[in-house]
Amino acid sequence: MNDNLYILESLKHSSPIIQLVWGISGIFFIIIAFLIIYLKYLRTHLRVNEKIEAKYQEDYESYLVTYLYAGNDDEAFSSEQQLIINELKKCVADPFKRKIIISTLLKLRNEISGEMGESIDTLFNKLGLLRYSLAKLRNKKWEVIAIGIRELTQFKIKAVHKIIMNNINHPKREVRKEMQLYLVYLYAFKGLEFLNVLETSLSEWDQIQLLEVLQLNNDTQISDIKPWLKSSNDSVVIFTLKLAKVYNQFEAKEELIELLNHKSEDVRINVISALSHLNVFEAKNILKNNFNERSHEEQIAFLKMMENVYEASDKPFLLEHIHHKNSEINLLVMEILKNINFEEFEVNEAELKKPLTA
Amino acid sequence: MNTNTVQIIMPIIHYFFLVFTAIAIASYVILAIISALETIEYVKKNSFVNYKEILSSTFSPSISIIAPAYNESLNIVENVRSLLSSHYVNYDVIIVNDGSKDDSLSKLIEAYDLIQIDHLINEHIKTKPLREGIYKSTNPAFDKLTVIDKENGGKADALNMGLNMSKNRYVACIDVDCLLLEDALQKMIKPFLETTDAKVIAAGGVIRIANSCIVKDGKLLDVNFPKTWLEQGQILEYLRAFLLGRMAWSRLNGLLVISGAFGLFDKKIAIKAGGYDTNTVGEDMEIIVRMRRYMEDEKQKYKVAYIPDPLCWTEAPDNYKTFISQRNRWTRGTIETLKKHRKIGFNPKYKSLGLISYPYWFFFERMAPIIEVAGIIYFGILIVLNEVRWDYAFAFIILAYLFSVLFSIVAIVSEELTYHQYKKKSIGFKLVMIAFLEPFVNHPTILYSAIKGNIDYYFNKKKKWGVMIKKGMTKA
Repeated sequence: MNDNLYILESLKHSSPIIQLVWGISGIFFIIIAFLIIYLKYLRTHLRVNEKIEAKYQEDYESYLVTYLYAGNDDEAFSSEQQLIINELKKCVADPFKRKIIISTLLKLRNEISGEMGESIDTLFNKLGLLRYSLAKLRNKKWEVIAIGIRELTQFKIKAVHKIIMNNINHPKREVRKEMQLYLVYLYAFKGLEFLNVLETSLSEWDQIQLLEVLQLNNDTQISDIKPWLKSSNDSVVIFTLKLAKVYNQFEAKEELIELLNHKSEDVRINVISALSHLNVFEAKNILKNNFNERSHEEQIAFLKMMENVYEASDKPFLLEHIHHKNSEINLLVMEILKNINFEEFEVNEAELKKPLTA
Repeated sequence: MNTNTVQIIMPIIHYFFLVFTAIAIASYVILAIISALETIEYVKKNSFVNYKEILSSTFSPSISIIAPAYNESLNIVENVRSLLSSHYVNYDVIIVNDGSKDDSLSKLIEAYDLIQIDHLINEHIKTKPLREGIYKSTNPAFDKLTVIDKENGGKADALNMGLNMSKNRYVACIDVDCLLLEDALQKMIKPFLETTDAKVIAAGGVIRIANSCIVKDGKLLDVNFPKTWLEQGQILEYLRAFLLGRMAWSRLNGLLVISGAFGLFDKKIAIKAGGYDTNTVGEDMEIIVRMRRYMEDEKQKYKVAYIPDPLCWTEAPDNYKTFISQRNRWTRGTIETLKKHRKIGFNPKYKSLGLISYPYWFFFERMAPIIEVAGIIYFGILIVLNEVRWDYAFAFIILAYLFSVLFSIVAIVSEELTYHQYKKKSIGFKLVMIAFLEPFVNHPTILYSAIKGNIDYYFNKKKKWGVMIKKGMTKA
């Protein structure tokens, strides 16, 4: 006791700097103590939550599987299904349980298709979950809006199309992306109409996702891609070029050739790749004639195209570039020459390989 | 020196140490706050991302995993199997056997049915020549695998050979003994594909320590906490560095280093910048600085990204000898890189790279250990001269210690709030305990290694990588 008093007394008489330093140390000490207690609570909470979540998930999965197999053709919902619906409805009111129900439904929705998939979509409505997903769209937090759109996409809720379209120019790209995926997932090529008005850039990540979703759909009604090839948004043009490749849009040949003179190098490279894929022979001569005026990247793309459409008559052109200062071009030229005439290539190999190693 | 001069100099020295420490602490706090904000944003953005769409897509860009190997015979077959088990669809694996003296190559040939092939290599970057040549597997199950056997030239030279060999758009340069999680590639590629306002030239990921973790068939089955204080201290150190530091630098677009254990690069830019420097032991830092410098000189908008997800697990030193050797090398690597690129430092032409990142690294990474040791020596002199004001000294030492503990505990809380990898009971207690012990257990060794690194850099130029004897990860 006396010691403590002595310490406090000497602190009182010490300089303001020392008082300040001890004051800060005291604050640090309190924060550390608080954080250790919080850490203990947090770790226990996370562990317990994980267990409860796993337990609920298991229960709901079992409910849902029973629900899926309990249907009959006579009525919309069998009595067993109705019982499960009632049971789940009770849980939906609790946000924690609702979150697990939605994630379990989503998990199952991703695993099954056909009538059973539709049955899950119906259950989503029947449980009143649509109301909660729509409420998410009105939330101020962008991530909640994005999750809401994703749920509506997964459960194929077409009726909210107009509400979702309100987000076409949402400031957060994640929300815009979810909106785009919603449109394409539910309306396939028709959903791509957002490209007509898209002002922001469509990232490569977005493009891959859209192409993947399109491929999931068996819609054979492919939109006319020509207007998008003339878009002032370069990312839309590049995405359309990928569509042209995937869906063999040979009809757009003229528009594609025109794009060989597009102002963007990225577009020009992608056009060469699309023309190569579509085997547009006319493009080869155009590119051969102005090969030297093009960037190295375009030249590489063209030579990759030539790998598929080379002829013996291309030999003089290739020999002209055999000692190109860019080693990648060099290598491509040699490989095409090798394909044109292997024996002759073998004879001249040592000379041709000068700038490379084997 | 007369008494008056000493009386003038001493306060200057005191204020220098005080101001340096205050700025260092302030910068740590600022970086931690920025890191927290960035991590929250990242977690939000990625909470609903469907990686499966990218994973299975044939439109996803091609990636080459380049893994240099030197005398890795013990685990090479299993390590390669782990690299081949990625869920990403469009990738290949290039193992560069860098003149190993053991039977690594023959083990690979046998395990993966390899045969020698004739292949042209585009020599963008000069490397040591091939030794046995290039191998591909006759088994279609391993068609993603290429093994290059070359003469020994060091890790950087082997990576350069991989860069020359790769035909893909991106290259993931990794240590062959690292354990990559199955979804590592699609998570790492994301920033390259989604950034539209700048070119992403490289991305780094969090490295986690796999000591004591259970691994089977190249997969991480169980995360455990190692037993020794040295290993535990490193876990805490990595948590602090990755969760409270690098995330902030990523936000500020000021990352100067991507761990050599796992990084993804835009191949074209890496080659244009000249590839890895074979004359430094800090090639992982050096290539990032050079790529950034290249982009600045070219006046192109760029970004070095960082992924906080724990995607790569690696074995950390479990004994002081290896630990000291590793930290010594890191110090020399930092000195070499900063010296080589000193033109960047404090140069407004390089904007934030020259005015924020470089000075930070120079003062708080390069100089900090030297200043700290100078401070300790100065304190010792004051004790001898009986000039220590113990009331001040004691108060400041306690403050510094509590700050260090607090900072570590904040890192642990961040980990729990985000990735919660150490789930088992009692690990929480051990983490807190090591937060209190680490300043006495690991820090003095780190300081010693850094000073030794400085001495070796200036007086022992021949010293290169040093050897780390690996035990391999714990198998199930």
